[in-house]
Amino acid sequence: MVDENMTKEESKEPKEPRTFSRRRFLLGSGLVVGSAVAAGVAGTTLAPATAEANGDAATIALAPAGEVVQQPVAAPQTACVAVAQSEGYLVVDSKKCAGCLNCMAACSLAHEGEANPSLSRIQIVQDTFQRYPNDLQQYQCRQCTSPMCVQNCPTGACHVDTANGNVRVIDQAVCIGCQTCLSSCPQTPHRTIWNPTTKKASKCDLCLNTPNWGEQGGPTGKQACVEVCPMKAIKLVTDTPSQMETVGYNVNLRKPSVADLFMDVD
Amino acid sequence: MANGYTGKILRVNLTTNEISSIDTSEYEQWVGGHGMGSAIFWDLVPDKTIDGFDPRNVVTLMPSPLAGTLAPCTGRTEVQGIGVHAYPTAWFTRSNFGGSFAAQVKWAGWDGIVVEGKADKPVWISIVDDKVTINDASDKGDGLWGLTTSKTQKAIWDKVTNKHRYPGWLAIGNGYTTQRPAVVCIGPAGEHLGRIATLVHGGGSSAGQGGFGGVFGSKNLKAISVLGTGSVPVADSKALIEARVAFAKSQFDIDNPQDGQFYMPGQGSDPPVAVVESNHVTGCTSCAMPCRRRYVDGVCNESQCGEVHWYITATTDDVIYGTIDLVQEYGLNISDVSIDDNNRYLLQLYKEGILGPGKQIDSSPLPMEEIINGTQAGAEAYIHAIAYREGIGNDLAEGLMRAAQKWGTAEKDLETGRLFMPGYGIMWHSWFPAVYWAYGSILSDRDINEHDFSSMPTYLPADEAIKRYTDILSPYNDPFMMDYNWQGKDGTNMAAAIATGIYSESKAKLVAWHRDFTRFWKQTLNFCESFQSKGLISGAAPDYKGFTPGMEINMLKAVTGKDLSLIDGLNLGRKIYTLDRAIWALQGRTRDQEVFAPWVYKPGTGEGEVQPAGGSTKKNAPMWDGSGWSYQAAGDMFLDWNAFEEWKTKFYKLEGWDTKTGQPTRPTLEKLGLKNVADELEAKGRLGSLV
Repeated sequence: MVDENMTKEESKEPKEPRTFSRRRFLLGSGLVVGSAVAAGVAGTTLAPATAEANGDAATIALAPAGEVVQQPVAAPQTACVAVAQSEGYLVVDSKKCAGCLNCMAACSLAHEGEANPSLSRIQIVQDTFQRYPNDLQQYQCRQCTSPMCVQNCPTGACHVDTANGNVRVIDQAVCIGCQTCLSSCPQTPHRTIWNPTTKKASKCDLCLNTPNWGEQGGPTGKQACVEVCPMKAIKLVTDTPSQMETVGYNVNLRKPSVADLFMDVD
Repeated sequence: MANGYTGKILRVNLTTNEISSIDTSEYEQWVGGHGMGSAIFWDLVPDKTIDGFDPRNVVTLMPSPLAGTLAPCTGRTEVQGIGVHAYPTAWFTRSNFGGSFAAQVKWAGWDGIVVEGKADKPVWISIVDDKVTINDASDKGDGLWGLTTSKTQKAIWDKVTNKHRYPGWLAIGNGYTTQRPAVVCIGPAGEHLGRIATLVHGGGSSAGQGGFGGVFGSKNLKAISVLGTGSVPVADSKALIEARVAFAKSQFDIDNPQDGQFYMPGQGSDPPVAVVESNHVTGCTSCAMPCRRRYVDGVCNESQCGEVHWYITATTDDVIYGTIDLVQEYGLNISDVSIDDNNRYLLQLYKEGILGPGKQIDSSPLPMEEIINGTQAGAEAYIHAIAYREGIGNDLAEGLMRAAQKWGTAEKDLETGRLFMPGYGIMWHSWFPAVYWAYGSILSDRDINEHDFSSMPTYLPADEAIKRYTDILSPYNDPFMMDYNWQGKDGTNMAAAIATGIYSESKAKLVAWHRDFTRFWKQTLNFCESFQSKGLISGAAPDYKGFTPGMEINMLKAVTGKDLSLIDGLNLGRKIYTLDRAIWALQGRTRDQEVFAPWVYKPGTGEGEVQPAGGSTKKNAPMWDGSGWSYQAAGDMFLDWNAFEEWKTKFYKLEGWDTKTGQPTRPTLEKLGLKNVADELEAKGRLGSLV
């Protein structure tokens, strides 16, 4: 698939990591490189052997060098494409959550070095007068199996971090602040968040990049929100949750002993 | 330098409509919360003798520099000003409330709010980041005046956010947020200048003591709303997160609850309601031990403690449950209106026959039989009459003490304790046998409501508990600070009571330590009392080692960069408490007023006479017997007049105050850096002397 944003130079040569590379662009546009069909491209050579040059862990098989990949001509542009699934997800329990917002403070502190709920990549929204359980909801990034923020990011800033368990992350150095990811996120509130001071977007990266916290993050590491939550209402899991509505992401994390506290067990 | 401060304090003058800011740096030596509130009040109110309803009264609403960060249980806002409740003099006093208000003030870019003057019509203040407006709350404007507190808040949410549909991102102020505005407001009780009217925020956070609801009402101030999109800068984010994670691991584990574990969630809610209604536990911003709940019917959300059992005559769950919200919606202090807490005073007078329809004390329009029988209608009529000052409600809106004074029953009932008020015309939550509470209260402005020593760690052998307290209570480190020897019913134990017990110099040290600790480490840093009072010795922690003061010191340093030891903080607390003392001196306080009601000095036997100490037979008061420590029962404790008077002299000496008057002295004030305060006291003839 030819993207009008791609320059002539970029179409020819592989680039360094963390810049606007062709391979990164291809990943950013949601194409699967390898055995799947790139829709609507006839007789185009897909640039080979970029994995080594970029230094990325090659989890995606490329076409052998020089081989011309024959593509069907009239494949629909709207085909849903999949990217590698994240190896880590946050699940929450909004019946267990106490609305203390410590997760939001921890997130913004770990990432930005200041306490600000507007810069938190997990949002807790509540209405003190509402009827339980509608009084409060936790809204975490779903590390979608088909991430629209990744697919639509024109620069590849929002990408799948294949070196770190395929977490969907936004590279601040690459982000140009176009806000496409904000409207791409199908969730309300959109999980990609906007920083009006830096004019860049960010999103939950499972604490892969936390300059203000000493712990390792990612699917095999720790998340600040999980660590500080007094109610243990946020948990890292490795199995991909159901993508239907919130059933996979808002789950029951309560033990039967919460009945002693007069909380609901289910 | 990033230090937890935003750099400016909002100042609103409702008389002139002037909106300005105070540089936080001018008051940074007072750190925040109560310290700043007292100092700002001192500077902005030249005449400290004014009445609380006077437009010149200044109300400060101060978060701490820790608010809006990750420091645990720092979501409270300290409220100060001249109160209107205490009797006969309504002292310069304090209250506070939780919820999300303090954090929002910080996120909006303010270190606190100062309100003065009086609007010429009902108004409400809106703060959105740095944009502050005074808006018309009357029928001609936003129509808020007259509304209950929940309706007020919801109406303001719609106005501030332009009916935003949550949970989407709201573009507002200088950025975006998914949060709702934090609103603190008054209900009809405050609008009618109730001396027992509260400030209410959310469903059940409220500033209960002092009558600040009535003070707001006297300023024609219906509500303050705040919404912020900004950041609280902290000195060391990494240290703060690490301190909080380490702290979280030392607290309860909700997935593996143990007996006696540190204050499990929801314990503040007095479960009768929780048992009935499906709910979940909720907490204030930054909470570490959530104590409120929200229910499946959306009724009595966030109410807890005394609020859930104020209507003690109710016998069925639907009425118990259905009457809790009344005190929140109307904005009334349950410590006077609660039929439980006030020792059923109204009901006793009714039973005696002197209060009733057409009686000596006319009870109209109250449906007394409905109230006796605990019906929903009875509760609603009762609360309504007080809030709107109708009939006997007008007496009750003045507080039960002023009502009893008017009725002519006060003097007799203070002798027996039927009027259940130990001092200053207000109900006290507790006092004996843990005398630190009673003494601390009578030497201050109100029921201190500080639980730090109200229950002893009886899971530890007495001598072990004493050893731990002795270690913690620096700089005094005197084991007898925790000795509860009292004179005994027949007075034969007076020597021990004076030497080491409740009338001793050691007890003076405990009260002095506690005043200093609470003024700084509790009310200036605004740590939730319910939480922090469990921090000295903790039943759940390994080896029972409490988190105080290590946790507070770590959090203060991580957020502000201030490296204060326990004693540094105590010294600051002493300065703050002495400043408060100076204000009370200017209000006319002398030692003659620092006396308890007559019933407190009596053993309380016989019908209708209360036991000052409640009568418990539980062995929970540590006592020294000359060779060792043990826990004894002291539920029959009462005070000896002369012994307590002599003890006051010991306390004044320890504080460096005039022993004849209890007023601060120049050497003491100047040593604390309060020379200008000494000058003012002297000019007004209120300065004590050490000679």
